[in-house]
Amino acid sequence: MQKELEKKFLNDFEKNQNIVHKVCRVYTTNQDQHNDLFQEITIQVWKNYSKFRGEAKFSTWMYRVALNTAISLYRKSTRSIKTQDFDDVSFKIKSIDYDDTKDQQLKALYTGIRGLSDIEKALIFLYLEDKPYKEIATTLGITEVNARVKMNRAKDKLKKSLNS
Amino acid sequence: MDLANYKKVWKDQPEEKNKISSLEIYKMTQSRSISIAKWIFMIGLIEFIFWFFINYLATKNGVLKPYEELNLMTFLNYTNYLQYIVVVLFLLLFYRNFSSVSAVDNTKTLMKKILLVRKTVKWYVYYNLISVVVFSIILNILIFNSPNALSVLYNINSSSIDQTQMITIIIITQVVMIVLMLLILWLFYYLLYGILLKKLNKNYLELTKLSEI
Repeated sequence: MQKELEKKFLNDFEKNQNIVHKVCRVYTTNQDQHNDLFQEITIQVWKNYSKFRGEAKFSTWMYRVALNTAISLYRKSTRSIKTQDFDDVSFKIKSIDYDDTKDQQLKALYTGIRGLSDIEKALIFLYLEDKPYKEIATTLGITEVNARVKMNRAKDKLKKSLNS
Repeated sequence: MDLANYKKVWKDQPEEKNKISSLEIYKMTQSRSISIAKWIFMIGLIEFIFWFFINYLATKNGVLKPYEELNLMTFLNYTNYLQYIVVVLFLLLFYRNFSSVSAVDNTKTLMKKILLVRKTVKWYVYYNLISVVVFSIILNILIFNSPNALSVLYNINSSSIDQTQMITIIIITQVVMIVLMLLILWLFYYLLYGILLKKLNKNYLELTKLSEI
């Protein structure tokens, strides 16, 4: 039973790991922190996996666990000082299909998001991932109206930073 | 450029190049969590053990010997039983609160639950501090009401010294010691939890403030 659950988890998680990588990129600034947060999210998703009943899509459920871990459970490690920041090195997701202008824009977007508060980061992340307000509100535990108000403020803040 | 355009850039971003394999993911699930909730739980446990030991050592090391002579042992024993009951109750509450922390909750509830784990420990520490003060007051009243207290406790010949002056000195010393102890403890907790919960408190405040709009 446990083996079966493990297998299913590994399959689900591996397929959706890109979500976790994106959350890590938003909430951390170097590779060590990225790896630490990735590991903590993996632990939390696995710990709660037996509670996942499948009434929602696995990816939807994973957004919540990943963001919760990044916002409330993760502590930045001290060893992070030793490693280079992402901004200093060539952006690690760069690929041949992705031209330089787009790469620059993506870099600017990540830099802008990193300047936001943890809650604003979550809002913008879910907006960029095309999540409806209802889902954003339930994920954060606030009303839809509050989510909209806060989202507008976060967007304004991000726009300002992108245009400066 | 408009945010909608950035959204497109976001969507087109290539997938992570350093994909984590199933085996690596499996290894990660076997490692220990370093979450804030876990930290608070571990520190909380250490605090429970610390305060319990302070209490235990005081009773075992003969610190209370003179009180036997003053017939205060029944009072001390009952205080101890009460202390054990309270510790068990606090531990149960502490564990229950910690177990309810789950990354599946919504963000606000999760933060509230983590802060509740911390609050349980805070109440426990407050209980200990208040009980120390109340206990000292009651003990002082009982001691100073007994005629041979000073000679038993401090080996002082009661006829050779001004008793009122002596009592004043003892009380002042006790008050200073208690205030000093409280100050050190406050600073310790302020630093420890202040650092640990800074981010969480800030985020929780941001979300709760949001509900007041």
